[in-house]
Order: sequence, then structure tokens, then C-alpha cells
Amino acid sequence: MTGIAKRAGTRGGAASERILHGLYLLTFAAVLALVMLPISALIYGSFRTSAPGEPVGEWTLRNYENLASQGVLNSMWTTLWIGLVSAAFCIILGTALALVVHRTDFRWPRLMTTLIGLAFYFPSFIVAMAWIIMGSPGGVVNAVLGDLLGLEWPRVDIYSAFGIVFVSVLHQVPFVYLTVRGPIIHMDASYEEAARAAGATPMTVMRRVTLPLLGYSLASSFILVFVLSIEQFAVPALIGIPGRVTMLATQLYLLVRFSPVDYGLAAAIGLALSAITGAAIWAQRRITRAGRLTTVTGKAGRVAPIPLGRWRWAANLFCFGFISLALLLPMVILIYTSLLRWFTANPFAGMYTWRNYVFMWESDSTWQSLWNTLIVSGVGAVMGVTLGLMCSYFTLRLRPKGHGWLDLLVVLPFGVPGIVLGLGLLWAYAFLPLPLYGTIAVIIVAFVTRFLPYATETVGGQMVQIDRSLEEAAWVGGANRLRAAQRIILPLIAPSVQGAYFLLFMAFFREISAAILLYSANTKVISISIWAFFEQANWGQASALSVATTFVIFAILLVIGWLVSAGRRF
Amino acid sequence: MGISVTDLSKHYGPVAAIGGVSFEIADGEFVSLLGPSGCGKTTTLRCIAGLEHATGGRISIGGRLVSAPAEGLLVPAHERQIGMVFQSYAVWPHMSVRQNVAFPLSVRGVSAADCASQVAEALRVVGLEHLADRHPSQLSGGQQQRVALARAIIGSPAVLLFDEPLSNLDAKLREGMRGEIHRLQRRLGIAAVYVTHDREEALSMSDRVIVMEQGRIVQVGTPRDLYRRPRSRFVADFVGKVGLIALHRQGDGWASTDGTAILVAPGEPCGPTALGAVRPENIRLLRGGEVAAAPEVNLLSGIVTEAQYLGPFTEYVVDAAGASLRAFAQMDLPVGAPVTLGIAAEHLVLVPDA
Repeated sequence: MTGIAKRAGTRGGAASERILHGLYLLTFAAVLALVMLPISALIYGSFRTSAPGEPVGEWTLRNYENLASQGVLNSMWTTLWIGLVSAAFCIILGTALALVVHRTDFRWPRLMTTLIGLAFYFPSFIVAMAWIIMGSPGGVVNAVLGDLLGLEWPRVDIYSAFGIVFVSVLHQVPFVYLTVRGPIIHMDASYEEAARAAGATPMTVMRRVTLPLLGYSLASSFILVFVLSIEQFAVPALIGIPGRVTMLATQLYLLVRFSPVDYGLAAAIGLALSAITGAAIWAQRRITRAGRLTTVTGKAGRVAPIPLGRWRWAANLFCFGFISLALLLPMVILIYTSLLRWFTANPFAGMYTWRNYVFMWESDSTWQSLWNTLIVSGVGAVMGVTLGLMCSYFTLRLRPKGHGWLDLLVVLPFGVPGIVLGLGLLWAYAFLPLPLYGTIAVIIVAFVTRFLPYATETVGGQMVQIDRSLEEAAWVGGANRLRAAQRIILPLIAPSVQGAYFLLFMAFFREISAAILLYSANTKVISISIWAFFEQANWGQASALSVATTFVIFAILLVIGWLVSAGRRF
Repeated sequence: MGISVTDLSKHYGPVAAIGGVSFEIADGEFVSLLGPSGCGKTTTLRCIAGLEHATGGRISIGGRLVSAPAEGLLVPAHERQIGMVFQSYAVWPHMSVRQNVAFPLSVRGVSAADCASQVAEALRVVGLEHLADRHPSQLSGGQQQRVALARAIIGSPAVLLFDEPLSNLDAKLREGMRGEIHRLQRRLGIAAVYVTHDREEALSMSDRVIVMEQGRIVQVGTPRDLYRRPRSRFVADFVGKVGLIALHRQGDGWASTDGTAILVAPGEPCGPTALGAVRPENIRLLRGGEVAAAPEVNLLSGIVTEAQYLGPFTEYVVDAAGASLRAFAQMDLPVGAPVTLGIAAEHLVLVPDA
């Protein structure tokens, strides 16, 4: 394919080429700025002795030497093992759930998928808070064990590495479930039928055919969950900081927010963490590409479900037990806490009140943060999807000169954890003469950058499936490139654009890690407000706002589900 | 007028997909580009359409120069006034049949009233008036291909281009569509280029066939010409079943490897050795002893080595004159039977053996 500039056009064609070329330059510049500014600022910062924006300071390698200090090495080790253990539990539980729900005669597959979908959208910091209320030394679980059952032992303490793994797993199993569900449902039935015909029992088929065929999907999902576990901020911060379990993301946060402040070391840690996540993402993409050759295309047939028989109770207990721990119990506890005047683990001793909700309703700052969240999510998602759409069109369709670089730039944020991105922007905007710092715009910039790859993957995934000849037929029919894009490509990818918008909207609505270093009093988003209440040990307020936010999220999901099913035409 | 292609070449880096191809197609003429996959036929067509950019040579459509890379001229596809039918139909799934067919008019700013009457006419021509408001997902493969056809002929294009349009249809549908495409092109009276790897399609529809191999033209001719007078072993083989007898000069004439003198059709001079090409339907199969002597007929004795009963006739493979020859006959012979093959000299065509 040749570049745009080489095509000699005439009349209307030339104008269309010029517009497209302009759009391309604009897209390229925007992505370059979004992605490279924070990363290069971070690299710059990692070689400096001072904080961002300070005129003093000099070049140094000390930050990288400090990476090898005992403290950082400990956090790195903690990060890695927590990531691996969480990912292992997530894969086992998530795959088991998907297999039980979609491969056996389990009675409520649709209900289960809906509930797990809700759990997927349940923000991790809210799950963490709920489990802190339940699992802290003075929490509900210990009260039940001690006061109610009168046991001296055992006692649980959520403020531990175990607590981080536990909550991470509860939060991320739905992700595994939703990613392996597709391959499980769409697997070509003839593979399994051939094994049945060869004399294998259903369990042997599962072990020797089904699971090995899912190998690539499982490996890819494992790596993604590992990345999610090591880059997350909210869970290790809420649980790990009081429990003195430090992961890299929380160490970075501590170095920036609490003395002794060391921005340079924080930048170096951020880069080290990005290197790990970046390498993992790279490996995941390699695996997915290799896996595409072998797996499971073809016509989906109905495989005879495996009868649960006398194990039905165990399957039901497993599925609904998980939903209880990940979704129902946290919700109940949050509602309970939000209705208490002072927290007590004993519901019979509680003084019940609406005051948390009344306060929330009457608080200007809450409304402000809701308004901010809606702007960030609504407007930010439009920007993210527009940019993602442009990138996909240029990298997959038009492929002008340099599109390979654009393609690379766009996936880079996958490897940059949210809090690291926030730190990079902190460095970048301290130096740039742009009045962005402390505005809502900087939060939008952070969110758009962080989730840009999600937009390009969603839109691009559908765009590659559009046969080239559909566009060529439009050119031959007299449409210039811009016209063809507008009348053929755009309508055909409309569902994925809509999907990407909802995906980004929901992600922005829940995001905390990229905002935690960037917010100011006026630019708080909901997630930050909840966080702030909880940090002040105001469990009542935090719970009330969490309950409200969760209901808003579920309501939006309901509307999305309704819109999507109404909008499905071909 | 029509299409004129001069010394067209297309290089991908150092690799030449087309290496200097020239031909002319008159208005009203139907020409096929025939060849195996990778021979450059589709690339040639896409260069004419402007979907691919030639790296050398010139292309004119309707007397207008549209591609001359040496002079920096490459008219984009949407300004070439062509109608094209794609292998995959490329019928847009988000538009109704009517909207699909109207597209070339609507992007060119034709008024709604004009547009409606022309669309109705195009749909009538392909027999789809009654399905105008359906969406492509509600149509069969054959119907989708008619939509593509209607979309290609609307707005009076200067040329019609076909990129293996029938290869996704089943055999029966294919034969019907052949006739239809041919009639349509005759009616419009414009030049048509038809890319195919199916020799039956090429032979049955075309005024002329251009056979391509490895980015070059190896022979151009009418279907009868190509079939009866192939000029190379490749063409002889590609346009139909053929038996090849290795020959060498013997005196003024030719002889097979076992020394039998062989009479051949008058033709272009060959080297000291050559191949005699004969179509199976031109071989008369006679039972062992029968001899029907006639002038200018080669009589070769041989043994049946394979027999495939195909209904209307049986296809025999006979070893004779040092070659394996295919012959069609209605009589029943067992494998191993001795036979005599009668091949008229005019049906034995010399081709170079290289």
C-alpha cells in the first residue's frame, strides 16, 4: 500500500485526500502527545533528584540504584508473588465457573452470567472496603466468631497479603469468566464428539480435549489477570497500607504522598513496574496471535451438557457461593454500614439512621464529584472512542506512511499502570506551560490515555472483519475514500463504536488509580470521594456513597443492555 | 475506446507480480484473463480498476489515460467510471438492495427521481425488482451476486470488470449466471474484462481469452483458437484435457519414441523434438483388430490402462506411442484390452516440448 501523498487525485478526490491526511496528522500528534508525554516525563523524572516543577535538582542515577534497595526489592517480590498467586486462583476459579455454567446441565446459566457481569462492574475499591468492614480485626467476621460463637480462635485479619489476594481474586474472577466463556461456548463441538466417539467419558473429554484446546485462551487470560493484579492500586492500598504489605504501586503512592517524599524513586519504580507489565502484555499478544492459528473456529454446535447428577448441590454451592462473596455479601454489608450511626458489628446493637444519605444528598461536594464523574465519563469516553476509531481506521484500513508507529504507540498504555500514568502526567504538567494541572481536563487526559487501547481493540476488532472488497466496491462505485469510510465503514462498525463507548464510560466511572495523584478539591470524581471518606475512617459516608454509586452503575448497565438489544439489527 | 493496456507492470519490492503486459479491448468485446492463481490476472484487473497502483506502463479507459506512473498520473478508482463485480459480491450488509444499487448514483449526486428510475431499470434487468427492499442477509448467494451485477451496470460505466464473480456459487447456478452476464454485456455494448481460473467459463463467455502465466501473457486468441491451436504445452494443458505424445523429426515428418511415423497438423516450425497434443474427444477408439484405414489418420495400437465410467461416455487412459492418452468412447472395454487409436492429422498439434 502506498501513502496518501502519492495518490494523484483530481477534483473532489483531492479534497478528500487532504482532509484524511490532515486527520491522520492530527490523530498521530494527539496519540503521540497523550502517550509519550507522561512516559518521557517519567523517564526524565527518574533521572532527577528533585520533585516535578522545582527549579533546583540535578541529574542522577541514584533513583535506579535505589531500585536495588531492600525496601524496593521486597515490594517487587511481594508484587510478583501476589500477582502470580492471584492469577492462579482466578484462572482456576474463573474457568471452573465457566465450565460449570456452560458445559454442564447447570440450571441457571443466564442468571449466573448476569450476576457475574454485575460483579465484573462492581468497583474493586468498593469490594475492598466491604471486605475490610467484614474482615478487619474489629470487623463483622471476628465479631461473629468471637461474640456470637464464643470462639477464642480463629481470628481473621484482612490487613495482610492474604487479604489482598482474597479481594483481588473476588474482583478478577469475573474477568476470567468473561474472557474464557467465549472460547468455551464457541468451541467446535466435533472435537469433543470425536473424543466421545473414541470411547472417552465426559470427564476424560474435559481433561484431555477441552482444557488443552482452551490452552491458549487460558494462558492469555492468566497473563492479563496477572497484569491486573500487579498494576492495581485500590486493593493493595486500602488493605496493604494498614497491613504494611507494600506492592510496587502502593510504594509509588507512598513515596509521592507521604514523607520522606521521593519523586525520582517513584518514577524509577513506575518505570520498573511498567517494564514488568509491558513485557507481560507483549507475551500475551504473542500467545493470542499463535493461538489464533490453532483454536476453535468453525461452526459452533451444541455439545451435550455433562450431567451434574449427585454433584448438583456442589456446583450450585460453588456458583452462588462465589456470587455471595463477590457481590451479595459486600452489598449487604455496605447497605448495613451506610444505615448505622456508629459502626458496630452487631446488627441488634446498631443505631439506625438515614443521616448518611441525607448528608450525601445535601452535600455540595458530593454533587460536584458526581457531576465531575459524569463529565469525565461522558465527554472523556467520546474523546477516547473518537481517537480509537481514527487510530483503527488509519492502522487497519488506510495504512499511510508511519501507521506502524501509530499502531505501536496506541498499545503502549496497556503496559502502563494507572498510577504510573498519573505520576507521569504529574511530572509532565508541572513543566508544560499548559494550565491543565488541577483541572478536570488532566483527569480526562489520564483516563483517555489509559483506556485508549481498549477503544482501539474493540473498534479494530470489528474493523478487521470487514472485507476489503466492501470498501473497494464503494470506490469503484464512485465514492472517494472519505465518503467510503463514512458510508460503508462507519455504519458497519457502529455496534463496536457503541460498545467501546460503553466500555470506556464504565471504566472511567470506576477508575481510581489514574486519578489518585491528579485530583484536587474541585476535580474529585466519585471514586476519589468514596476513597477520601474511607481514609477519614468515615465508613458510614463511604458506604452510603458506594451503595449509591453501585446502584447508578447497575442502572447504567441496565440501560446499556436495553439499548444494545434494541440496536441490534443485522 | 474500450480498454488499452500498454506494457503494464506491477512490482512489490523486487518481486514482479506483472511483468510487462499489453492488450487492447474494443467496446462491446468480452475478454477473459485466464490463468492459475498467482499468474497476475487479478492484479492486472485491479490495476485497471485503480484499486492497485501499477508501477509501470499505461492504462487507458474509454480513450482517457488513467494510469501512467512514469508521468505521475494515477486516477483514483472513484473517478474511473467503471462497474466492477467482486468475488465476494461485496454487497453492503447495512443497506437494502435498492440502496446498494443506488449507491454509485447517489455518491455522484444524481437526482432522486433519476436515481429511482435507473435503479428500477437495473433491478429489472437482473430480475430482482421484487426484492428491492430486502437486506442482503435475506438473500441467497445467487441473488446477492445479481445485486452486485446491478450495482456494477448502473450509471453507464465505461467498462465492466469481473473478478472471479461466479467462484462462490454452486455449479448449477454458475452456468445460469454465465449466460446472464454475457447477455447483459452484449446489451450494454461496453468492454468487459473477466478474470477467472475456470477454463469453461473463459471459453463459453469470451470473444477472446488472454492466458497468463507468472505475470506474463502466454497466448491470446478466440476460445476455439486457444483450444484447438494451443501454442505451448502450458496453454494446451490449461484450457482442457490433453494427451501429449513425445515426437522427434524423422526425415520430412515426425515419429514417436517407439519409431512409429506420426502425421501432424501443419503448423509453426519446431525444433528437432516436439510434443504432439491431442484432445481426448478427437481420438477414435477402435477395438483391437478393427482397422478403418483412412488417409491422413494416425493409427496407433495400445492397451487400456484405466477406465472411468462417466455416464454419457467412458473416459479411457490408453498407453500408445510411448504416451498415456485419454480418449472418450461409448463402448465398454475392460482394463488391459488391446485397442487401436485413430487420430486425424489435423487434430494432432505440435507444441514445443520445453
